[in-house]
Amino acid sequence: MIESLSDLAMPITAGILLGGLYAVVALGFSLVFGVMKLINVAHGDFVILGSYLAFAALTGIDLDPFLSLVFILPLVLVIGFLVQKYLLNRAMAISADAPVIICLGFSLMLANMFQMIWSPLSRGLTTSYSLTSYNIGGLAIQLIYLLDLIIALAVMLALREFLRRTYLGKAIVAASQDRTAAEMMGINTNKMYAYAFAIAMACAALAGVLVGLTFPFSPTSGVPFLIIAFGVVILGGLGSMVGTLIGGIVFGLAQTLGGFYFGVAAQMFVAYVMVLVILGIRPQGIFGR
Amino acid sequence: MNLIVPRFGQRGVILATVIVLLAVLPVIGVPQQWLLYLFLYFVYLAMANMWNLLAGYSGLLSLCPAAFIGLSGYALILGTWVGVPLYLGVFIGGIVAALFGILISIPVFRLTGVYFAIGTLVVPEALKYLFFLWRPMGRELHGGGAGYMVKGEFIIDIAWTYWAAFIIGIVSIFLMHFILKSKLGLGLAGIRDNTGTAASSGVNVFRLKLYAFIIAAFITGIAGSVFYLFQLHIEPTSAFNIRWLMTSMLATLIGGIGLKEGPIVGTIVVVILHFLLARYAGISLFIQGVLLVIIISLAPEGIIGFVRKTQIYRPLLKLANRKATCPPKTGPKDELE
Repeated sequence: MIESLSDLAMPITAGILLGGLYAVVALGFSLVFGVMKLINVAHGDFVILGSYLAFAALTGIDLDPFLSLVFILPLVLVIGFLVQKYLLNRAMAISADAPVIICLGFSLMLANMFQMIWSPLSRGLTTSYSLTSYNIGGLAIQLIYLLDLIIALAVMLALREFLRRTYLGKAIVAASQDRTAAEMMGINTNKMYAYAFAIAMACAALAGVLVGLTFPFSPTSGVPFLIIAFGVVILGGLGSMVGTLIGGIVFGLAQTLGGFYFGVAAQMFVAYVMVLVILGIRPQGIFGR
Repeated sequence: MNLIVPRFGQRGVILATVIVLLAVLPVIGVPQQWLLYLFLYFVYLAMANMWNLLAGYSGLLSLCPAAFIGLSGYALILGTWVGVPLYLGVFIGGIVAALFGILISIPVFRLTGVYFAIGTLVVPEALKYLFFLWRPMGRELHGGGAGYMVKGEFIIDIAWTYWAAFIIGIVSIFLMHFILKSKLGLGLAGIRDNTGTAASSGVNVFRLKLYAFIIAAFITGIAGSVFYLFQLHIEPTSAFNIRWLMTSMLATLIGGIGLKEGPIVGTIVVVILHFLLARYAGISLFIQGVLLVIIISLAPEGIIGFVRKTQIYRPLLKLANRKATCPPKTGPKDELE
């Protein structure tokens, strides 16, 4: 029994640290979901877009993935802003389903584009610190996993403060709470939506860099991350950073423990079944209102 | 749909002629390639019709046709391993898909609108992993990523697979026709237009949506197993592929979502596209994605919707009516009208 507990210590630690990564993955999804009531089914592919851009920078000009964010973030911010402004805002006026279908179109385009440019092979962001690990109390903890959690906490805190304290953040929140009232107060809600989408894409790209450092990725990796993001959001509820983090940790644990008990191949299956079970039991989320 | 009787008779005759013509195609020695195109047309048509029933009429943006298609395909092919004849396997496939539809409705029907969409998106992905892991039959060499071949001696004539597809395609058209005229269809239309009002007028929203979902699961399942009747081999990646969703969705959207004729016209475009893009297999999904975005942003009403809105066929009708003795042109558009 003691032995099995010490065996479990490793997947549990890894699961909690991975939870940070999943919380970041879910952050952008949650923002779009919360502000525009839009399910961005391309979110997973936006995450993988970040991974591939960092991969291109790493292999092309030998730039560290974290430094490459200096170029990636402005790029995806602009792309996100334009996509929302010219495509999604219009589609949202047509029907509730139209933007979802557009996002699905984007998801396919991106996945196919990755395959064309970078081939279907599985890639990874391999850096000098990829394999660094620390031995803490008999547990080998990888630096990357630790960074996942630390960066996650930092990004979530930053986003929360941004939404609470800056004018732009407050305006985005206002537009999400009551569109008509916000418009009467002189807020251009369409523009706010575009900003929110741009920020969500930046979060996705950042998450993508972390994903690339943590896991190998391939052109079809987008959908699993979309489903995890969705799972985290329905588990953690919208708008609650603590909930998102807890949701992320639950999924991290589900994955590592699922892998521990049922083998690596079953990891994602465990996570997916969990999403469906949560939907069946409590569709508004465990921490949802 | 208030047609005067003689007109109806005429339409009926045209319709019957077209159906009989399509049915005898394999017998009169049409090139195999044509049969293949038409086979795909009818399979996709059935899928698109059912997607239209869900997304266009019931307000259920279902992203899981692949789940029904994959499951029924597996049911058909694994059935042959235990000695189930193929024709029976097709029905079993449909029934398995319908049962799975009932099972899956427990979690996903708690969600509404776009939340439903992503709930259904999880399903085929989960199934894909399940079938990677689970080897219901055979030993190491079979199942998992390698998939299954049909077991036993089956020499299937393309004519038979064509007829199977033809039947399910035609049945799906008539089914749509009757569903939309029935109480179920009226209820669904009410739900789509205003859920609250429909519910307060005594429409059981949950039950009607569930019925539509199960019918769609059944027919999509049969169409799926008919496809695997032709393919004879199944593996998880292609069975639970997003391609199935793309095909049904594109066909419906190109033709016109929420219009009975939409998939009939849209599927023609999709099949042509399918063969045009076969040469550029590497970028075919990219092109389909672009098409999806363009259609939704520029022409969300689709071809039929566009034709109806602009009444572009008016001059043609006038022309046809001027020649009073001649019957109206028997082009496909007229028959679909």
